[in-house]
Amino acid sequence: MKHILDRLYKVSRNAVCASVLMVSAAASAQSGPDYDDILAGFADPERWLTYSGDYSGKRHSPLTQITPDNVDQLRPVWTFQTGTTTRGRGFETTPLADDGILYVTGSNNYAWAIDARSGRAFWSYRRNLPSDLTYGASAPVNRGFGMLGDRLFMVTLDAHLMAFDRRSGDVLWERELADYQVGYSATLAPLVLDNKVIVGISGGEYRTRGFIDAFDPVSGERLWRFNTIPGPGEPGSETWPDDPEILASGGGGTWMNGSYDPELDLLYWGVGNPNPDYYGDLRPGDNLYSNSLVALDPDTGELQWHYQFTPHDLNDWDSNHMPVLADIDWKGEPRKVVMVGNRNGFFYVLDRVTGELLLGKPFTATTWAREIGEDGRPIVLNDGSQGCVPDPWGSTNFMPPTFYPGLDLFILTARETCATFIPEVPANTPGQSNFGGTVHIDAEQGSGALRALDVHTGELVWEFTYPSPTFGGVLSTASGLVFAGDHEGNFMAFNAETGENLWHYQTGSRIWGAAAMTFMLDGRQMVLIASGTTLTAFALPE
Amino acid sequence: MALLPMLLLVSSPALLAQTVNPLEGDPRAAFAGGALFRAQCATCHGADAKGISSIDAPDLTLMWSQRQLSAQDVFDTIRNGIAGSIMPPHDFTDTEIWMLVSHLQNVAVAGVIGLPDGDAANGQRLFARHCAECHRVRGEGGSLGPDLSTITARRSLESLLISVRDPSALIAPGYKPLTVITGSGETVQGVLKSEDAFSLQMMDSNQRLRGFRKQQLRSLERPQQSLMPVFSESLLGQQELIDILNFLDRN
Ligand code: HEC
Ligand code: HEC
Repeated sequence: MKHILDRLYKVSRNAVCASVLMVSAAASAQSGPDYDDILAGFADPERWLTYSGDYSGKRHSPLTQITPDNVDQLRPVWTFQTGTTTRGRGFETTPLADDGILYVTGSNNYAWAIDARSGRAFWSYRRNLPSDLTYGASAPVNRGFGMLGDRLFMVTLDAHLMAFDRRSGDVLWERELADYQVGYSATLAPLVLDNKVIVGISGGEYRTRGFIDAFDPVSGERLWRFNTIPGPGEPGSETWPDDPEILASGGGGTWMNGSYDPELDLLYWGVGNPNPDYYGDLRPGDNLYSNSLVALDPDTGELQWHYQFTPHDLNDWDSNHMPVLADIDWKGEPRKVVMVGNRNGFFYVLDRVTGELLLGKPFTATTWAREIGEDGRPIVLNDGSQGCVPDPWGSTNFMPPTFYPGLDLFILTARETCATFIPEVPANTPGQSNFGGTVHIDAEQGSGALRALDVHTGELVWEFTYPSPTFGGVLSTASGLVFAGDHEGNFMAFNAETGENLWHYQTGSRIWGAAAMTFMLDGRQMVLIASGTTLTAFALPE
Repeated sequence: MALLPMLLLVSSPALLAQTVNPLEGDPRAAFAGGALFRAQCATCHGADAKGISSIDAPDLTLMWSQRQLSAQDVFDTIRNGIAGSIMPPHDFTDTEIWMLVSHLQNVAVAGVIGLPDGDAANGQRLFARHCAECHRVRGEGGSLGPDLSTITARRSLESLLISVRDPSALIAPGYKPLTVITGSGETVQGVLKSEDAFSLQMMDSNQRLRGFRKQQLRSLERPQQSLMPVFSESLLGQQELIDILNFLDRN
């Protein structure tokens, strides 16, 4: 352990020197991180430049100042109040950190640049949203900025992509992604690659057709679009009825961030439910690429492979999760894998070069299916019309999990719920939600847990239980810590090896959809979590 | 009652969905709206409608030029209020609300009127040479000074000439000059973005955002001199400045 710490210390010292150099070089023209900086991920301890901290989606920071031994000393340094609430949902953002400044988006398309030392804003922005929002009205949330150079990127509830100047908050350009009045909206944190901004779309509850778009960061020009529901005659259309209208409104939102493998040059993104959500009779077939993980060529948006977790979904189990990339030993061989904890209750390990399924195992008590067949398809026992399957919010959801390398643990928030689905013929009205039925949720049977799974077997290694189904995300740090939030508002630290709870702090509002981030500031490790209307920064005493 | 004919006018069904104010151009409506405004709105927005920043009540004379607002948008805001803020809904008659809209249209900042002819293309070149380092227009330029994309709609010709010839005479809010010396002896010049009793947030002259704890500063000064250089007529002739304003007015 000692030599690992020494090494880390060296790395962070070098990085500090590097950033001092950078500052003086920038004295003439200060400009923000470029693609190589984002590619370097956690190399500079003072930065957090993309939603998950790096492209892999592990949300595992190398910082080690806060340890299992001292974490009980952790205390709030400041709080930032957004003044904008989303009762029923959460403050879902992950701040970006660079040069002592935090770039933060809030609910209802508010945004700020905040002084990381004091929690005070340099500038604030609020979008004037139309009063007839569709899906955006029921999920008025946002998960964060993307950043490149002096530009920030944010998507909006009326389905636009905006570029800002990060110093002044001035709007540089905005582009419409799709017509919000049909049901489209956007909530994710744009993913910045080399000269590309990748975004996805929300609104699969409406008569929409999902897509992933790439934009030029400077001109705002759209470079390509991948449609998640094929057009007539295109590959995948054979898994749908031969009806252009059904295909044109087949759902398949892409509203959660994806991850990126720079070596393979592949983009990994989750796709949401088919529409209508619960009523499947109008769309017989597997309904590709709904509820799938897709691997795309980031230069063209072309599909390289896909794996469908929930064929012909009837339960709104969007597969919009952070795909977590890791290089691990698999049965004695080094393997590049992508891992997903899915809303359908299964934990999956796939070969990320080919899309081959390596492991699929339930991590909740789901009765929908208990195993994946030889053909890679779930053996469905109960489609939800015969009592108790996970509710439409799922066995987990988009709240980010973490992967702890070395321990080889996939740590995620699990939700144990019990729902019965009652499908009904939908009205198919554009601009109105189109679930195609109702759900009965037995609230008595809900609970939550933070679960650590052995990625080689999918077996539970440890868990910490919560009184209710929880929506908080997870962060881990190389000092052996896991940070997580729960539905009752606690922000907590755990021993990554044992799951022992080491510290908690009541934030005053549920932690919903957000996961913590961490970075070094003036030699001090900061940990930030969003909750309710508040962003709180924690550190050890000075 | 003098208002009766107007009342009849606006309640006729054909006029229910308005994007233009049905009372527009009627000086009596704007006058009555002004009285109503001072009685009902001035505690928050100020009698001159220029807003009170300590309670986040915005300047209503600038809103028309800052965004694409229709009369109907403003009507709806007055009727419905703004949920989650202290801007209340108002249970007035349609006529009364249109009178308030008339008043707000009346006090709206007019911007540049009677701009002398100039060469906008030359203005664009001059802007790039002298101003773009600090000012942004339509997404391009620097950040030390305000975005000037809509400046000619927000400020009069006279006041714009003063801003360029004598910048320190009128310093835009959010751009107050500041000079600090840090604990390590670095002198940092810039504009103040925000401060509390213990910390300050500034943009330095290299257009870098910087936050400081006051107790860690060796000194903090607030010079009266704007960071915008003085552009005298020898540096930038009167016709050249008019060219620049013609370029800005194109937006
Ligand atoms: C109790 C204080 C208060 C009163 C009284 C009040 N306002 Fe407001 N008003 C506000 C605040 C604060 C905002 C900004 C709210 C926000 O943006 O969140 C606002 C916003 C507005 C806006 C929107 C401005 C824009 O840029 O879109 C208009 C228009 C407006 N008020 C008009 C009026 C009128 C007309 C009246 C009187 C009939 C009035 N207000 C009375 C506090 C008040
Ligand atoms: C070195 C930076 C710098 C340069 C170069 C510069 N400005 Fe400025 N300008 C500022 C700053 C800082 C402010 C805000 C402080 C103030 O109002 O004096 C400002 C304010 C202004 C304003 C008032 C804006 C408002 O919102 O009220 C105008 C108009 C303006 N500048 C025009 C120009 C023009 C035209 C040029 C080129 C001929 C120019 N500036 C060059 C820094 C600069």
